[in-house]
Amino acid sequence: MAGMKTASGDYIDSSWELRVFVGEEDPEAESVTLRVTGESHIGGVLLKIVEEINRKQDWSDHAIWWEQKRQWLLQTHWTLDKYGILADARLFFGPQHRPVILRLPNRRALRLHASFSKPLFQAVAAICRLLSIRHPEELSLLRAPEKKKKKKEKEPEEEVYDLTQVVLAGGVAPVLFRGMPAHFSDSAQTEACYHMLSRPQPPPDPLLLQHLPRPSSLVDKTQLHSRWLDSSRCLMQQGVKAGDMLWLRFKYYSFFDLDPKTDPVRLTQLYEQARWDLLLEEIDCTEEEMMVFAALQYHVNKLSQSGEVGEPAGTDPGLDDLDAALSNLEVKLEGSAPTDMLDSLTAIPELKDHLRIFRPRKLTLKGYRQYWVLFKETTLSYYKSQDEAPGDPIQQLNLKGCEVVPDVNVSGQKFCIKLLVPSPEGMSELYLRCQDEQQYARWMAGCRLASKGRTMADSSYASEVQAILAFLSLQRTGGGGSGNHPQGPDASAEGLNPYGLVAPRFQRKFKAKQLTPRILEAHQNVAQLSLTEAQLRFIQAWQSLPDFGISYFMVRFKGSRKDEILGIANNRLIRIDLAVGDVVKTWRFSNMRQWNVNWDIRQVAIEFDEHINVAFSCVSASCRIVHEYIGGYIFLSTRERARGEELDEDLFLQLTGGHEAF
Amino acid sequence: MGESSDDIDQMFSTLLGEMDLLTQSLGVDTLPPPDPKPPRAEFNYSVGFKDLNESLNALEDQDLDALMADLVADISEAEQRTIQAQKESSQNQHHSASTEASNFSGAASLGYGANVTATSVSQYVDDLPPPPADPVLDLPLPPPPPPPEPLSQVSLVVKVHMDDNSTKSLMVDERQLARDVLDNLFEKTHCDCNVDWCLYEIYPELQIERFFEDHENVVEVLSDWTRDTENKVLFLEKEEKYAVFKNPQNFYLNNKGKKEGKETNEKMNAKNKESLLEESFCGTSVIVPELEGALYLKEDGKKSWKRRYFLLRASGIYYVPKGKTKTSRDLACFIQFENVNIYYGIQCKMKYKAPTDYCFVLKHPQIQKESQYIKYLCCDDARTLNQWVMGIRIAKYGKTLYDNYQRAMARAGLASRWTSLGTVNAVTPAQPCTGLKTGATQPNGQIPQAVHAASAVLEEAQRQAETAKEKRPAPGNHREPAAPRAHPAPRASLPPPPPVRRSSDTGGSPAPPDDFLPPPPPPPLGDAELPPPPPPELADSPPDFVPPPPPPPVLAGDPGSALPPPPPPPPSLRPECAGPSPTVAKRPPMPPKRHDNPGLPAGGGSGEQDFMSDLMKALQKKRGNMS
Repeated sequence: MAGMKTASGDYIDSSWELRVFVGEEDPEAESVTLRVTGESHIGGVLLKIVEEINRKQDWSDHAIWWEQKRQWLLQTHWTLDKYGILADARLFFGPQHRPVILRLPNRRALRLHASFSKPLFQAVAAICRLLSIRHPEELSLLRAPEKKKKKKEKEPEEEVYDLTQVVLAGGVAPVLFRGMPAHFSDSAQTEACYHMLSRPQPPPDPLLLQHLPRPSSLVDKTQLHSRWLDSSRCLMQQGVKAGDMLWLRFKYYSFFDLDPKTDPVRLTQLYEQARWDLLLEEIDCTEEEMMVFAALQYHVNKLSQSGEVGEPAGTDPGLDDLDAALSNLEVKLEGSAPTDMLDSLTAIPELKDHLRIFRPRKLTLKGYRQYWVLFKETTLSYYKSQDEAPGDPIQQLNLKGCEVVPDVNVSGQKFCIKLLVPSPEGMSELYLRCQDEQQYARWMAGCRLASKGRTMADSSYASEVQAILAFLSLQRTGGGGSGNHPQGPDASAEGLNPYGLVAPRFQRKFKAKQLTPRILEAHQNVAQLSLTEAQLRFIQAWQSLPDFGISYFMVRFKGSRKDEILGIANNRLIRIDLAVGDVVKTWRFSNMRQWNVNWDIRQVAIEFDEHINVAFSCVSASCRIVHEYIGGYIFLSTRERARGEELDEDLFLQLTGGHEAF
Repeated sequence: MGESSDDIDQMFSTLLGEMDLLTQSLGVDTLPPPDPKPPRAEFNYSVGFKDLNESLNALEDQDLDALMADLVADISEAEQRTIQAQKESSQNQHHSASTEASNFSGAASLGYGANVTATSVSQYVDDLPPPPADPVLDLPLPPPPPPPEPLSQVSLVVKVHMDDNSTKSLMVDERQLARDVLDNLFEKTHCDCNVDWCLYEIYPELQIERFFEDHENVVEVLSDWTRDTENKVLFLEKEEKYAVFKNPQNFYLNNKGKKEGKETNEKMNAKNKESLLEESFCGTSVIVPELEGALYLKEDGKKSWKRRYFLLRASGIYYVPKGKTKTSRDLACFIQFENVNIYYGIQCKMKYKAPTDYCFVLKHPQIQKESQYIKYLCCDDARTLNQWVMGIRIAKYGKTLYDNYQRAMARAGLASRWTSLGTVNAVTPAQPCTGLKTGATQPNGQIPQAVHAASAVLEEAQRQAETAKEKRPAPGNHREPAAPRAHPAPRASLPPPPPVRRSSDTGGSPAPPDDFLPPPPPPPLGDAELPPPPPPELADSPPDFVPPPPPPPVLAGDPGSALPPPPPPPPSLRPECAGPSPTVAKRPPMPPKRHDNPGLPAGGGSGEQDFMSDLMKALQKKRGNMS
């Protein structure tokens, strides 16, 4: 071995001293000095280091990082010469996996070990495996934005979930145990972590929402994309340090084979990302769409709070389910007191009462008048008085197919139901005015079911009534911040502030009491969805937005003098006028022949069919991020169901890698 | 061979198949399916009902009688056909085919809603081409005795207007989707089954019209019509129906850079189209084409039109309010699609002073009269109109539209494959179709279907065919393969029209034929049209009728020998023929019904009568209950 010396202590071989710091990059780290020759193998060096340190520890994850070259010495059979290491090399003997704090799509923080030595693509795949998210190729990591000082003060201590202790058996698909991947069921702590991952989070505090940064223009939207890390290089090479905060996000908006049954975490995180996209106005939508999103959020939240978590089928019935069942029961028991009366009503699918009715007509000044109203099956009839009930009604309306619109003002004690009943002649409008919340909820629920062709005998009637009451109470507390009315366990779930469900610009536009009925209205259409269905619906509605899935970059096209926006979507490139926001031109990937990057002048050149050539340089982000985005989408389009979960990493790196890759 | 010859082939083979089915007497309980094309012009009932029960009540005795008569007529007509089928070898049969065809135009449409009224009726409906499965395939198997539940079903007889101005009436039960009805019509009309065929509703009063989407429940849609409605259901080809799937690029790629893009778009190759479709329709959510532009909007209750900038989104149609931009946050919702259907507006220029005739209309399906709740929009040109209508349909129906298309394609593919197979495998080369409908193309018609049954592709059919074979012998112990035909023949020979009415009155089947032969107006129709064949047939038929059972066999043998082309259908063919029969007759169920008759030595007539009287009783009972 290296280090032969004469009696006088002179070295007689060509050995030299190599200093290796132990630990992560830290100038004051302890160091060991070894005697090596150029022929020493890395493996031998590692052994020596460990001997030298002489400490009992599992060193298996440690490897040598060469600081100047920003490179890991992972080929243990290579010699120092082959690596080109000389005595002046600054080497660090440190762990390859280091803790980082991930900011998940649901905005929760999670500490875990990530590989600092493998290409990011693999590191993300490992993280996703740990989190049990399928199709890791769709996700990637971003650097956290630099925090402004102001924000620092305001974020005291945030709960950080910890998965650093969890070790995942390599290569084996996680086994489900008690309804969750087995590695989560080790301790209460990891279990909580799984619940955080797989269940939707409650709506954010509206005040917080208002203070979070929102993009105000397309240019702002390009900022986010400048922070993507490079998939072909490792974290260490990209300057990430242990303990750094990184964002985990779905990067490519092409979600393959989304299966609620096998993807609870993926689905939930996707839902969360979509929700935050909307709440932070990363993507715009119309008022009507926002109401649907809000209603879905409300519904999802309600279900997840009430414990009716749609655990994926195939979970073994364990304690969890028992817990869920118990809490379910609890909810039911608590809710049943006020519904006793309703129960008796549902036995006979019929409602009759004195209600005030108003029929708007041209040139009519008549207001509400009291009638005896009978609601049976899906038909509403009204009479002058109760005595005339057996006779012919003044009017009879079949509510099937009608539109039911709430017109409610709780503080004003106004509980009206607006009915728009279709008939061959058109729509007839009718307002029912109820006296109180209870009455309103019962009639409203009946009308809603009838509009869908169902009667009050339907099993969903009672829950519908409850939902309406819950919403009314929401309206009562709405706007006053949450938690003012601690009335039992339901209060936290139901006393939601509608402002937490909509983007801030709608907060400015509407008062809470205006918002609530509109959300309620949209809610009718989704009230019957299960948790996963609602999440899926949310994601689908998000995907249906015209601007969905477009990542923006500021670029300058060759031959153009001004900056423009390039949008990259899963199937096309879009050239957008920066000032106006209009689409100038769209190129589809399917017509793309090839693309090249000139790394020297940082220019991306793309050739499409029919000799259309486009070239641009990137302004807002490095051109390799743009390049990787394009290549990534091309890669994703090559996925096939038949191939299952296996990833062709080489192909990915080939499509997305920079010049180093070749 | 032209289409026409194929059609004839089909018809012919259907006849044969029917005959076979008749011979296999199995289930007694099934009703004679009301013939799709009621030949009697005399009964012309076109009734639209909003409420079925009500409608039943509304039927007067006369109507009921008429209905009965119609049913009987159907039976007799079917019989006649069978007879004719028997003598396939003789060219006479051509008449029958053509007769049928010609009869369509004069078809009486009988609309009535039968609740439980006639069990048999509803059963019949059930037997009709089972919605999803290809009816033809199922045919060989006498449809399993209809499940008892059909009782509770509601069926409507719907008058469907063909593109040649003729009409067909067909029974539609409450579970049938437009797709099922289309399949049913395919069989009846021998059209090419391509995906452009659609059911189409038109509202003459509102001057609007639209496709039925294939997944729509037909009875449900029709139940929105008012009692006195002038609305009609059409059966026609509309290439707009699935245009987006044929040329997705016209809808998905022509935004922006339109001018130069147009030509290149049209060149798109099949592979790119496919990937474009997959991208648009097979993801987690369907992509609605980006569509925006200035349209004219008719102002409520006025004949004035305002130009506004509209945008289509998955969630509805939006417009840009004055002074605002077209960013999402500024848009105002014009309409959402949940409660409205999309229609084409017809001649709005004339009726509403629209700027152009390219209008589309959105309204709640229940609205049947002019109303401020109907929204009219007007586009600059036809291309824009089609884009909007298709875009709205995609937004409204989503992936269902694509599923419908794929089903339609599968159906069309099946049809074309059969025909091609048929021609290739032609069993009897002897009688190549002369090409014209009048020509003796019938044998060919048979062939294709026989082939289908045999083709490996249709395993099911094969299996069924086999079962059919097995069953056949069983019911008709007394007769040989040839015999079965004989029985039906006598009845079939009856001139279809006359028997109809009388059947209810008169008992014996033999009697009617004699009487009718001379007078029947309807028979002349069929015969008259086919100058050459009729005479022989007529002459032959009378003798046959008198002795129902014995003569038939003779007949069968005679025509075959006499005519140069030997009767193509050897026994082996029959099972296969059974398959085809549905195509022509549309009543797979028929066979079982008939079986009873053959079994009765007295003759089909008596059997029919029994059946009819049962039906009559049922109807009367029902009527009694209702009143």
